[in-house]
Amino acid sequence: MGPAFPTPTPTPQGAVTRLRPRAAIELRHLRKRYGEQEVLRGVTLTVERGEKIVLCGPSGSGKSTLIRCINGLEQHDGGTIAVNGVTLDADGRGVQDVRREVGMVFQHFNLFPHMTVLENCAFAPRHALGLSAAATAERAMHHLARVRIADQADKYPAQLSGGQQQRVAIARALCMDPRIMLFDEPTSALDPEMVAEVLQVMEELAAQGMTMLCVTHEMGFARHVADRCVFLDGGEIVEQAGAERFFAAPESERLKRFLKQMLH
Amino acid sequence: MTFDFALAWTSLPALLDGAWMTVLITASVMAVGAGLGFCMCLVRMSRNRALAAIGAAYVAVFRGAPSIVLLYLVYAGLPQISIVRDTPLWILFASPLFCAILGLGLNHSAYVVEILRGGLSAVPAGPVEAALALGLPPRIVFLKVRLPMAVRYGLKAYQNEVLIFLKSTVAVGAVTIADLTGAANEIFSMTYDPFTPLLTAGAMYWLLTNGLRLGFEALDHRLNRHLASNAPDRRPTTVRRPRPGLSLFGQPLVRRLRRLPAKPAARETQ
Repeated sequence: MGPAFPTPTPTPQGAVTRLRPRAAIELRHLRKRYGEQEVLRGVTLTVERGEKIVLCGPSGSGKSTLIRCINGLEQHDGGTIAVNGVTLDADGRGVQDVRREVGMVFQHFNLFPHMTVLENCAFAPRHALGLSAAATAERAMHHLARVRIADQADKYPAQLSGGQQQRVAIARALCMDPRIMLFDEPTSALDPEMVAEVLQVMEELAAQGMTMLCVTHEMGFARHVADRCVFLDGGEIVEQAGAERFFAAPESERLKRFLKQMLH
Repeated sequence: MTFDFALAWTSLPALLDGAWMTVLITASVMAVGAGLGFCMCLVRMSRNRALAAIGAAYVAVFRGAPSIVLLYLVYAGLPQISIVRDTPLWILFASPLFCAILGLGLNHSAYVVEILRGGLSAVPAGPVEAALALGLPPRIVFLKVRLPMAVRYGLKAYQNEVLIFLKSTVAVGAVTIADLTGAANEIFSMTYDPFTPLLTAGAMYWLLTNGLRLGFEALDHRLNRHLASNAPDRRPTTVRRPRPGLSLFGQPLVRRLRRLPAKPAARETQ
């Protein structure tokens, strides 16, 4: 069960009365095309607050595109995206408001190579929130300690292992106090022995109540953490279910085939 | 055909005056080139087609024209236009030094545009996307992420261009400025000894270019300290580049003096 929400009150105008608490992310009939190719064909998905969703599917199924649309790194061509009630228009309005609420972790870490670990984390609070240098450093150290890498604060990304870099990237996103975290295959570029340290940080984050939408093929993580698993294929949601049923009793042929391939 | 040390010594003050003029022009042109080049690079990379075409034309004209032609055009050509001759602008354009700096600066800035453009296009999308995803304003993302990375990519090409144009500053003799070459030439015409002044001037050019090179290497070392400096170097020995730093003949000076091994054993950083 999610946390309790305050009952929505009618606005002074009385125009909008919500029947249920605002969802963290609400996608309706989301469409995206690159030239002739339609990558997302009307995806409808609601992520409740505090919910953890794992998104999986074969390569080219539109998983990355889907989460990149949510914070406006890709502009969608049709349908609506609302994040904490802020609507992201197809022409990119509202994007800055949404990005403040949503943290993102990339497959290839994407740290700023010319900045130290500490500077990587302090950069956005300093320049997007306008906090003082002392306050940002303190905040950065707090989140670096959270991902257990505070002792490397003065190193440069190139001096760290992949797993360490990805944990820094998570800390960097957390420094903006996001309410939602998006993960785009966060462990796919890592050597096998480094996957665990990143997944552990993500599990701790989940345990602390963060809303998470995560593209990953880590089935152990999905089983432990996910409230719901969503299977995307050919730009549409084919099946979604709780983690246990998703892996143990898939219904659609496409998901069965996909799971079978993954187990090899 | 001998080198006259006494003449070299007595002509040193005149040559140093000329060298100072060369340094002054070089530094000014670098400043003009950086400012103009940055602005025109933004124009060149504008999404607005008309602006981008203007930028492309700017590069085509000023990179295509020999710097001496540009010097003549600025110094002798522009004053033919009434708006230059009959307004306060004339105070500027009557000065050969101003014309030299402008003419060479136009040429140099066109190269800077292309070097910077190359650097900016080489910046990978990842860090830029990460910065945008953090909610940073696009202006900050450009100034603090994209531009610093582009400058690092372009530094080597920029160093090359600066060293080449430092030597092409000899063209300012055409607009009556006595630079290092001009000073050497004057001593030649007074003494009929071609070797002593020109060889001395040549040595000064060598010192200038190599001083600049050392400066660039120090800058490169500082800007790229996040890369190889303390990270283990896992490349095969044959492709390793000596650590950027104080080096005169390819090998770091300190190491040659101390006779240290070629590269200390790579220290593992977890």
